[in-house]
Parts: sequence; structure tokens; C-alpha cells
Amino acid sequence: MKEAWKFLWQMAILAGLFWGSDWVVRATGLPMPGNVLGIVVLFLLLLTGIVKEDHISTAANFLLKHMVFFFVPVAVGLMQWGGVFYDYGWILLVAIVVGAVLPLLTVGLLGRALRCRARRREGESCNPM
Amino acid sequence: MQSYVSISTVLCILGTLLAYMAVRALYLRYKHPLLNIVALGAAAVIIVLVGFDIPYAVYEPASKIMTSFIGPATVALALPLYRYRLVLLRYALAIMGSVCAGAFVAMFSTGLMARVGGLPQEVVISIMPKSVSIPFAIEIAGMYGGIPSLAAAFVVATGTLGSLIGGWTLNLAHVADPFARGLALGTVSHAQGTAAALQEGEEQGAMAGLALILAGIITAALAPFVVWLVLRLPVLG
Repeated sequence: MKEAWKFLWQMAILAGLFWGSDWVVRATGLPMPGNVLGIVVLFLLLLTGIVKEDHISTAANFLLKHMVFFFVPVAVGLMQWGGVFYDYGWILLVAIVVGAVLPLLTVGLLGRALRCRARRREGESCNPM
Repeated sequence: MQSYVSISTVLCILGTLLAYMAVRALYLRYKHPLLNIVALGAAAVIIVLVGFDIPYAVYEPASKIMTSFIGPATVALALPLYRYRLVLLRYALAIMGSVCAGAFVAMFSTGLMARVGGLPQEVVISIMPKSVSIPFAIEIAGMYGGIPSLAAAFVVATGTLGSLIGGWTLNLAHVADPFARGLALGTVSHAQGTAAALQEGEEQGAMAGLALILAGIITAALAPFVVWLVLRLPVLG
């Protein structure tokens, strides 16, 4: 029972952080999504030690483990756009696939190479794989 | 506004949970990268809705309830970021460099393909910010003459596609480094890619979360320049 309350309390902290950040974004017109500000705020709270890891870790780990679930209904929403995807069919498909594969390779290969370079500069060995 | 939750909404949530648990069990059993939880789970739900002739409007209230957790869930990403804070600091330049390049390539290659394919200008602009999360994409599309709700649909399509083929594409290129894999998934497929990265491991998840934030900001900053570039390029035909 105590565990359940702890979990709910931690969920409330995360939800509160999100709602607070979302409110700030709406009120100030900051050019970023509320959840992005929320990540930055919680990161700073953790860095400064105002929030400790175990104040939120039970709920946070649960949400992170099941984060994909919340995107299932988002993807279901694609069914409303069947018409557009039907009209422009393969061009959209090509544009989206090429526009995903190229940057995936860019970031993957460049990220790996740049990290290796940084490691070598500090005298570590690095196998670029 | 309805002040109660209707039975159909409860059924839609239970059905989505059931689809999620079934696909997740399959994924945990076989661990195949094409057993994508979001794509297969959503496909199962869509098949049931279409099969029983249920319009999307019936599913929508349930979707709103479930997706309201995305905010708090993404805020939780601060935890892996915090655990990997030393990695962030040490490789700050590598992270910035690769995410900047990736955000540019994502926008430019998509816009170019869409233009060469002869799509109407407002569709070309709407598809360009497809790799960043919906609030960013809606802003960017609206600012430069795109259609915000269409932009949101492309974001979801890219997220689903990226989480479906992202890991596999990186395997083909022999990128095994969890750091680079996470950055790539977060840059290309925002929160959906981050969720997929978290399934691979905590370092991948932390890097994807960071890339998702950076890519959103960088894409917004680069957008006026890249949109201009794509619309002015001489395209044959």
C-alpha cells in the first residue's frame, strides 16, 4: 500500500512539473513545447539537488519503460489522414523514408566518429564501431 | 462537455492496452526489430476499428486520455539525462555537431524529395519539419505557409517509421555505439524514436532524449533558411 502511494505521489510530481511548464510556455509564448521545458526544468532540479533521484525514480522508470504505449493511440490517429496519403501515395512514402534514412545514417556515423575523435584526443583508444 | 467517461471510451482504452500487451509480449519473446510495438499495436487497433466500421471520432476521446500521459512521461526523460550528465558534458561538441547535421539533412532531403515529386508547395513545407515533436512542427509549418494539422500527421508517420526501421538501418550501417544510436533515433524520430531507443537501453534513451530537445530547437532555427533553399532550388520538370 505504501508503495502504491509513493508511486502515485511521484506521478503527481511529474505531472505537476509538466503542467507547470506547459502553463509557463502558454503564458509566455516561449517557442518550445511544454514537455521540452519540463525536461530542462527537472534536469536542473536534479543537478542542483532540489529533487533527488529517488523522489521520482519509481514513477519515472515505469513511464520510461512503457513510454511506447502512449504513442500507440497517436499512431492510430494516422487513419484520419488516409486520404492525403492515398492521393500522394508513393511520393510521400519516398520523401518520408529517404528523409528518415539519410539523417539516421548522418547522425549515427557522424556521432560515432566525433565521439571517437574526442576520446582519442584525451589519449584513449577508440575502435570506431 | 461530457463530464463522464463513456463505455466506448473505456473499451477503446482497454483494447489499446490489450493490443500493447500482446505486441509487447511478442517483442520480448522474439526481440526482432521489425516487431515494432507502436506500428503493430496501432495497426491492430485500426484493423479492429475499420473491421467493425467504428469511426475515428469514437476512438478520439480515449486517445486524448491516453496521450495526456505523454507530457509527464517525456518529463521523466530528465532522469536518464541526469544519470548520463558526465557523458553529455564530455561529448557536448560531438552531440551538437551530429544533431545539427542530422536536423539539416532531415529537413533538406525530405523537402527536396517532396519538391522533385511535384507536391503542392504547402504540402512540401508541411512535410519538412517531420522529424521534430508535434508542437515544434506545428509552429514551423504554420510560420512558413504549411498546414499545421498535416504537419502533425507527417510527424507521427515519421515517428512510427523511424521507430520501425531506425534500429535496423543503424544495424545495416554497423553503428553499434549506444551513444550514436540514441542520438540518431532522437534526432530523426523525436519522442517515438526516444521510446524505441529506451527499449534498447538507458544510454540510448538518454542520448535520444537529449537529441529530441536539441533537434527541435535547431530545426526551428534552421527552418527559414532550409525552406527558402528548397523552394528556390531549380527542379527539372
